[in-house]
Amino acid sequence: MRRLPLQGRTLALLAFIVPLLALFVFVGLRSGPLAPVAVTLATVQSRALAPALFGIGTVEARYTYRIGPVVAGRVERLDVDVGDRVRAGQVLGAMDPVDLDARVRALDSASKRAGATLREAEARQAYAQAQARRYEKLLLARSISEETVTTKRQELQIADAVLAAAREEVDRARAEREALIAQRSDMRLVAPVDGVVVLRDAEPGSTVVAGQAVVELIDPASLWINVRFDQLSAAGLATALPARIVLRSRDGEALAGRVFRIEPKADAVTEETLAKVVFENVPSPLPPVGELVEVTVGLPGLPAAPVIPNAAIRREGGKAGAWRMGDGELRFVPLVLGATDLDGLVQVREGLADGDRVVLYSEKALTARSRVRVVERIGGTP
Amino acid sequence: MRGKGIRIQGLKKRYGSGDTAVDALRNVDLQVAPGEVVGLIGPSGSGKSTLLKCLGAVIDPSAGRMTLGEELIYDNGWRVRDLRMLRRDRIGFVFQAPYLIPFLDVIDNVALPPMLAGAANAEARARALELLTALDVQHRARAMPSQLSGGEQQRVAIARGLVNRPPVILADEPTAPLDSERAMAVIRILNEMARKFETAIIVVTHDEKIIPTFRRIYHIRDGVTHEEAGEGRGFG
Amino acid sequence: MISLAGRDILHAWGKFVFTGVGLGLLIGVTLVMAGVYRGMVDDAKALLDNSGAELWVVQKDTLGPYAESSSVNDDVYRGILAMPGVARAANVTYLTMQVRKGENDVRAMVVGIAPGEPGTTPGWPPYLVAGRQITRAHYEAVADVASGLRLGDRLSIRRNQFTVVGLTRRMVSSNGDPMVFIPLKDAQEAQFLKDNDAIWQSRRRTAGNPAFNRPGVPGLLEAVIASQSTNAYVNAVLVTLQPGHVADDVAESIRRWKRLTVHTRVGMEGILVGKMIATSARQIGMFLVILSVVSAAIVAFIIYTLTMDKVREIAVLKLIGTRNRTIAAMIVQQALALGVIGFVVGRIAATYSAPFFPKYVLLMPRDSVAGFAVVLLICVLASVVSIRMALAVDPAEAIGG
Repeated sequence: MRRLPLQGRTLALLAFIVPLLALFVFVGLRSGPLAPVAVTLATVQSRALAPALFGIGTVEARYTYRIGPVVAGRVERLDVDVGDRVRAGQVLGAMDPVDLDARVRALDSASKRAGATLREAEARQAYAQAQARRYEKLLLARSISEETVTTKRQELQIADAVLAAAREEVDRARAEREALIAQRSDMRLVAPVDGVVVLRDAEPGSTVVAGQAVVELIDPASLWINVRFDQLSAAGLATALPARIVLRSRDGEALAGRVFRIEPKADAVTEETLAKVVFENVPSPLPPVGELVEVTVGLPGLPAAPVIPNAAIRREGGKAGAWRMGDGELRFVPLVLGATDLDGLVQVREGLADGDRVVLYSEKALTARSRVRVVERIGGTP
Repeated sequence: MRGKGIRIQGLKKRYGSGDTAVDALRNVDLQVAPGEVVGLIGPSGSGKSTLLKCLGAVIDPSAGRMTLGEELIYDNGWRVRDLRMLRRDRIGFVFQAPYLIPFLDVIDNVALPPMLAGAANAEARARALELLTALDVQHRARAMPSQLSGGEQQRVAIARGLVNRPPVILADEPTAPLDSERAMAVIRILNEMARKFETAIIVVTHDEKIIPTFRRIYHIRDGVTHEEAGEGRGFG
Repeated sequence: MISLAGRDILHAWGKFVFTGVGLGLLIGVTLVMAGVYRGMVDDAKALLDNSGAELWVVQKDTLGPYAESSSVNDDVYRGILAMPGVARAANVTYLTMQVRKGENDVRAMVVGIAPGEPGTTPGWPPYLVAGRQITRAHYEAVADVASGLRLGDRLSIRRNQFTVVGLTRRMVSSNGDPMVFIPLKDAQEAQFLKDNDAIWQSRRRTAGNPAFNRPGVPGLLEAVIASQSTNAYVNAVLVTLQPGHVADDVAESIRRWKRLTVHTRVGMEGILVGKMIATSARQIGMFLVILSVVSAAIVAFIIYTLTMDKVREIAVLKLIGTRNRTIAAMIVQQALALGVIGFVVGRIAATYSAPFFPKYVLLMPRDSVAGFAVVLLICVLASVVSIRMALAVDPAEAIGG
């Protein structure tokens, strides 16, 4: 049979058609919805986790002193400015006394007048007493009537009472004068402790109401951090735990600290637990009050237990678990999980054992019917 | 059954009707015996092509009788049901141009008519090879038509015309594009084939080179044929 | 009988293959267009699947949170958690915005996910392709690979910086924007807080308002400004159900007792597919139809031309006695062969060009099968015209003069 010329041409055509068809079948079966899903596996290992808590907070001063007048008045002068260091007892400024000096002088006079009244009352009482005594003697001698003696006794009582009143009046005048003097001295704004002025809120000449702060002081040694931890991830928070503090302005520089106190009142609206963390060594220069801070609190280490990365945790049928690869077959295993650490490792309390292999990353969501192929890395991830 | 060649009596062909009617063939009488090669000569517009088309059962004549071998195929109306089969089995064509199927090789071109008639491929190719050998082109059996020279292509065309052993072959200007040597070769082959396979061959031509080789010639003018004796010269 | 169609193809195989490839590219474009449509619908479904929710609780009378903006208080979820049938309820926020990485901006949908655990809390990405899930309550992010971000990148959202700790795939909004998951509180801040200039202006405006800035009430102004700087809203609450409870029943009870609008999965799909992407889908559908018509016309034209080229051979074939049937079969076989080559090339081209499109292109086997059937049908119909022409060829033309 003659086959040759045809065979050459046919061969060439077949050399084109056959690979094309093969590629076609390959494309049909290996791409799109029919293709097996690429997955990577992870092995369950026993590791001792070092869990930690993460929260953000702001730098605050533990004690803030708001210095201001107790009555409404006008600021007369301020001697300090923001940033000044002051000592306890230092005068920071003064309010305008207005009429206080005159009122003190008025009370002086009132005090003196009360003294005069007292002397008058003393004199009257002495006289009444002497009279009462003489008439008592005369009564004994039966020279006068009972009634007259009674009158004189009554006059003595009245004079005693008036004397007592006059004494109290002197005390009252003195006390009033002392009070006004105290108030007068209170017109001075005095620093209660050593500290740094952080706010100067009213300038000389402005009127302020009672209770309004004119100057705010903080004690720089008492800077601490007010940290908020999400309630769901605040388990194990306790005082004295070590903390790593990173100031927003000094990213990359971690400072040491510890948990000082956990606030008894949490924030119910934002669902956060509040805590105070202090620096082991206050950094210098001082961070500004109000600066944002990231705090990582280290919890005590846990004993070794099987752990898996949290990327392996999937959801199937309403339960959390992982896809275990056993004998080339994939099965979903519901898990009971334990503590986690900040690097994404999660303890497995029930469901997996050391050495089990689970699906870590996958191209698509997996179902019980998925066909998979195991790869080193999911393609397309940079 | 080789039969008695082809015989036509009183063939008429009218195109159109009424005032615009044209009588391409008025009265054609023609007869060719098996093994005979006759010429059909006439100027253009004489009805040559029309006659050929009628003979080839390609168009319907208007009136007359046509007998092919023993069978009356036309008697004022076609007497055969399947004209296509007639063309395939009983009539062979050789044209001015070879008209080979360009995408079939030489042997398949010649084997095609038998295959169309139902022969098995192997048998058809065997018959084709036989004819190609007879025409001395068997060495080109597996080439494609475009690779052959004009003369070789013409010979293959002749082989195709002969492969079904038709009782009649109609050759339309088979030598027109050829030089005298090749033209004589073609006419010689036609005569050989006619004798060998007992085929009646009608050659329509106005090629001066080959006209002298015919023993009988039909002249056709204005749709009427006249028979004449030819010179019957050899093929030099 | 030899195959005339086969021989013709073998003889002019270069022209045939070339035509087939050209046709294939046209078919490939049509398949990709169908894939774009399917991709859009799949994006919408992926959005719903990836949220892990069975119910969406949104602001009353809105279609939110994807189709319409919706705002609910962030403590509403506590009441929902207490309703029967509810397994988990978690807040979630969605905001489409530009996130910055270095010099570049990426348009992304920033999703705020409530604190919780992967696998149980709704809203968390259901699977990753690299890295890990978020463990810290602030400043960590999980991004989709479509955003171009890599593990360890620092991206800026408003004034905070986030470190990318995990990567996902196919987590996109219904528009095709990649998702970036960040902790809820950071997202609430991002959604609400404007840039520093705007905040400063707003403080000044508040301080200038005598109602808020009363001298006799120290501390009032600070309190008012503080209340203006918090955002107690989220876009929706995602709910998962306990096994055995029917979504519609739980949804109805939430609607009745909490006076909120609740959408089930089916409802959300209807909203996303029926309302949000409906116009784009129709647009693409029209284009698909036009493309199909054009493809059909071109296939028909090509087959017609192929037949036209063979008029003389057809005349000769008829003359030597070829059946009409055989000639018709030759034409149809060639048309079908062309269609098959075209489809094969088109399908392969579609598969390898799909990843280059900016949005997801989903080539479904179902569409391929349908496309194949349509291509063959068009080839057959187109060859009908050519066959009619071929059969009309007069064998007499082969005889000249």
